[in-house]
Amino acid sequence: MPRYELSLILKAMQRPETAATLRRTIETLIARGAVVRDLENLGDRLLPYKIDKHNERHSRGSYFLVDFYAAPSILTSFLDHLQRDVDVVRSTVLKKDDRVSSSNCCGPQQ
Amino acid sequence: MSSLRCFQRLKSVFCVQVNSGVRRISAAPSSVQQKESLVTMENPYKEAQKGCVLCSITVDYKNIQLLSQFISPHTGRIYGRHITGLCGRKQKEVSKAIKKAQAMGFMSVTHKHPQFMKDPNICGIKLLD
Repeated sequence: MPRYELSLILKAMQRPETAATLRRTIETLIARGAVVRDLENLGDRLLPYKIDKHNERHSRGSYFLVDFYAAPSILTSFLDHLQRDVDVVRSTVLKKDDRVSSSNCCGPQQ
Repeated sequence: MSSLRCFQRLKSVFCVQVNSGVRRISAAPSSVQQKESLVTMENPYKEAQKGCVLCSITVDYKNIQLLSQFISPHTGRIYGRHITGLCGRKQKEVSKAIKKAQAMGFMSVTHKHPQFMKDPNICGIKLLD
């Protein structure tokens, strides 16, 4: 199963609501047969630009990173689910490349 | 008159004209001149190849501090290769990572984060501040 990375930006909410949203998201992932490997909290920050989502203008958000293994077929339905979630401001799934390019870039490394 | 002729005769005696134009043929040694065989080696004065600034650093879209060093502080535009001094591969990686970060809501498009304004300038650009 290929490895994916989900960068999640949630609405600025109180701690129990953020926890509930995260729980909901990860349970959806597991229900579709994904294996969640890691969940990182990148902190609450001011968004780089104001984002309009679900009839609301957001200026602050909580950043999260979810590392998971999943079948590629579930991704479209999962992204659709995230789009419908009111608490999620922006979500992006990227494929994670494990191999690090070892070939020297412009010359021998010092 | 006679003294002049005497002088001329004396002059001819004393001035031994040496024809300096004649080249002396040096006697070559009978044995064959043995040339020393050329020692083949790698150029000892060769300088180590210099890599670009990001040669051994992985570029990640989450590392916005690193990416912000390659954008203009006033407009947020990505600097070209002639300014950043990066090699082809790294310049493309940085450019792609910046666009990715901007699309995902990590980095601003129109300006540089004020927190990173004091970062050291690695791009060869002099700003009129």
